[in-house]
Amino acid sequence: MMGQTEEEKLIDEVTAKSYEFGFTTDIDSDTIPPGLNEDVIRTISAKKDEPQWLLDWRLEAFRIWSEMEEPDWAHVNYPKLDLQAISYYSAPKKKVELGSLDEVDPELLKTMEKLGISIEEQKRLSGVAVDFVMDSVSVATSFKEKLGELGVIFCSLGEAIQEHPDLVRKYLGTVVPQRDNYYAALNSAVFTDGSFCYIPKGVRCPMELSTYFRINQAGTGQFERTLVIADEGSYVSYLEGCTAPQRDENQLHAAVVEIISMDEAEVKYSTVQNWYPGDAKGVGGVFNFVTKRGICHRAAKISWTQVETGSAVTWKYPSCILKGDDSIGEFFSVAVTNNMQQADTGTKMIHLGKRTRSTIISKGISSGYSQNSYRGLVQIHPGAENARNFSVCDSLLMTDTCGAHTFPYIEVKNPTAQVEHEATTSKIGEDQIFYCQQRGIEEEEAIGLIVKGYAKEVLNKLPMEFAVEAQKLLTISLEGSVG
Amino acid sequence: MSKFTQNFTAPSHGVELRSEALSLIDSLPVPTRRSERWKYSSVSKLANSTLSTHKGGAVGLEGWPEEINPNPIPELDAYRVVFRNGVYEPTLSDLPIADGIVCMPLSSISEDLARTIFNNEYHKTEWVGALNAAYFQDGLYLHVSKNIKLDRSIVVHHLTDGENVANFPRHYVRIEEGGEADVVVWSNATEKSSGMCNSLFEASVAPNAQLFLEKITNEAGDIYSLAHDFITQEANSRFKAHTFTIKGSWVRNELSIVSVGKGTDSIFNGAYMPCGSEHVDNHTTMDHTFPDGTSSELYRGIMYGKSTGVFNGKVFVRPDAQRTNAFQQNTNIVADRGASINAKPELEIYADDVKCAHGCTVGQFDLEALFYLQSRGLDENAARTLLVEAFIADVLSSVPSKELSDEIKRLYSERHLWS
Repeated sequence: MMGQTEEEKLIDEVTAKSYEFGFTTDIDSDTIPPGLNEDVIRTISAKKDEPQWLLDWRLEAFRIWSEMEEPDWAHVNYPKLDLQAISYYSAPKKKVELGSLDEVDPELLKTMEKLGISIEEQKRLSGVAVDFVMDSVSVATSFKEKLGELGVIFCSLGEAIQEHPDLVRKYLGTVVPQRDNYYAALNSAVFTDGSFCYIPKGVRCPMELSTYFRINQAGTGQFERTLVIADEGSYVSYLEGCTAPQRDENQLHAAVVEIISMDEAEVKYSTVQNWYPGDAKGVGGVFNFVTKRGICHRAAKISWTQVETGSAVTWKYPSCILKGDDSIGEFFSVAVTNNMQQADTGTKMIHLGKRTRSTIISKGISSGYSQNSYRGLVQIHPGAENARNFSVCDSLLMTDTCGAHTFPYIEVKNPTAQVEHEATTSKIGEDQIFYCQQRGIEEEEAIGLIVKGYAKEVLNKLPMEFAVEAQKLLTISLEGSVG
Repeated sequence: MSKFTQNFTAPSHGVELRSEALSLIDSLPVPTRRSERWKYSSVSKLANSTLSTHKGGAVGLEGWPEEINPNPIPELDAYRVVFRNGVYEPTLSDLPIADGIVCMPLSSISEDLARTIFNNEYHKTEWVGALNAAYFQDGLYLHVSKNIKLDRSIVVHHLTDGENVANFPRHYVRIEEGGEADVVVWSNATEKSSGMCNSLFEASVAPNAQLFLEKITNEAGDIYSLAHDFITQEANSRFKAHTFTIKGSWVRNELSIVSVGKGTDSIFNGAYMPCGSEHVDNHTTMDHTFPDGTSSELYRGIMYGKSTGVFNGKVFVRPDAQRTNAFQQNTNIVADRGASINAKPELEIYADDVKCAHGCTVGQFDLEALFYLQSRGLDENAARTLLVEAFIADVLSSVPSKELSDEIKRLYSERHLWS
């Protein structure tokens, strides 16, 4: 007993001491106290051993952010976050490893089973200690070798800053500048890590790069920053996220994704987002405020595909700047909201180059008491000769208590442009459900079937690995929402 | 008092509304492009100008400018209520006198009546609305009793004539149960005119009643035209509106319809073909708050020269408004380099058993159709004209009276040199 008190005293002393010196010198601790100021940013930068230019860049972002106001134009309602109450740096902590799957939340396992995730994968995702013979490790190593041969760089952003500073410096913030918006500015100031991907000229990346099979397994944290550069004539398909439910203690996720698609390059970026949406009463859940944008040079293509089922509040507009002539932008989205979830998502297609084309297919499904909005901008600039856009936004309503909204902005400044937008909102077909039931299909299953058919156009765009799971995910997300 | 309003004087009627609005003018912000509702239409130039309300009285035919016909639709056999710079012109007007119809200038109604009819709250939320409520001059007051059908259309003709004038027309229409009326609001301005015409039109349509409204803006000169129309529809009522912008340097038409009973039917169509540096903005709001309502909207526009067009169509379906069927379409042609269109069709839906759709397109003339017509011997200009006529015809053809649609077509063809 005595010993313990001694120990406690000592701890108290040590902690008190570290405060005496302020946290800037406190290099060794894993977590810095909550709050955001220039010193915190200096600390983050120092901990990551970053070059001076990046620190300056972060500080500039912080100064810009300090003068900005939180946006309130989105069709969402949530209590304002206290950004000074968050700790902006915590080194990836070792998770408590569980002995076997029996110790994992059975609810979580049930969902994974429904998704068809293998036992090994289930163990990995729920933090169960896995055998080192496990396939994915060897797979990862062989992946790394193969990518290395082709000159593909795929690593964490932190690593890239150390190993490839010129590339990072050249492209960081060129698509999403620090002053772009409130959350992008915040991210620029405090981002902790993320992914970096560079595909050299003319290389067709032979595999889907994904955070799923991420070689670098460091926790991505709540201020993730991704930078994808596809050099001339290259191709890459990048997968982000995971269909498995993610229980995350972080309330705010303010990520930034930047894509640079050089002449004749093609980037396919697919996301499955299934963060914790809060409980049925709307308590808890993740706030997902993400800025994603890509720039297309001559004859380049960027294709965004997203399946959004999680998060309490989503605020996300993956966009394409079609700068080069003949470039193409695509956006395919399925957004499902249930219970008290709120989603305000869509895209921006900025047509600058000649003969630029864009396609938008957005499918919203609302259920419970949720609010689901599509917000999109199609802008045809004066120099964008013969630009084309085609947009379809459909909304499906499952209950009489939810909402589905459409806010498209169409701005055309060129007489040769052709822009088409159409949107429909309707209830899930009672006759369709009835027909299925008549054929012996349970009501819930019937709804799943109808929804899958409704979202098929988008689900088909997903890489194989994701498509099957995403379909199951849709069904699970809508469980208990029989209208 | 702000600089903008220093030369405005308010007539003596409608005191209560005025005093409330006057106190709000300074506290409400002058709209800027930062506000979502005014994102594409700037009034900053207007707010920095110095305008005055008209001081004199009625001028009769002698004082009326020669180039303007006091009767804007000569072929149409209609009643007429004429205003010049916001002032009622009794000798040029021809009011209906019939049982069950009360039609007079708004300035003549009693304070008691004024208290009961001025319940629109636009002045509480917008600077533009507060200006009208504080300084409104005159306008149409029309009351149609139960089951009475007005035998002819009423043409409300407003003329802006003079430099740097500020006009504030305000109209009120009430159609009782089963009643019917057709109102044409025609805004004119002489070539040398400049200033602002800030108008408000309020109508309430009782159960099973019907109101047709045609709004035509044909203003020469340099006028900021800000028109706000608020329509309240009770159960099973019918409302049909047409908004045509023939000419106008800066025009903003706002139409808000709210259903306050079951089974309402609303149809509202419009056309705009701005030229030169003209700016035409059409904002519409359809608010379905009760079940079984239907609404259908069609707006078509062609942007010529360096003009800008704005379309914003909002459709709300409130939680109880089940079985609503709402349709909206906006079709645009950007005809010349330098012209632009900003379109924003919106749906906000809170009920599930609904059918709602909107479509919005921006394009050019159909090249195949042009080729087809040319292959039949029409020159390119004639072919183009024919296509424009066909494009606008869908809107024109639903105008209730042929005389009116012919006159609108004539003015369009004069302006756009149709053959």
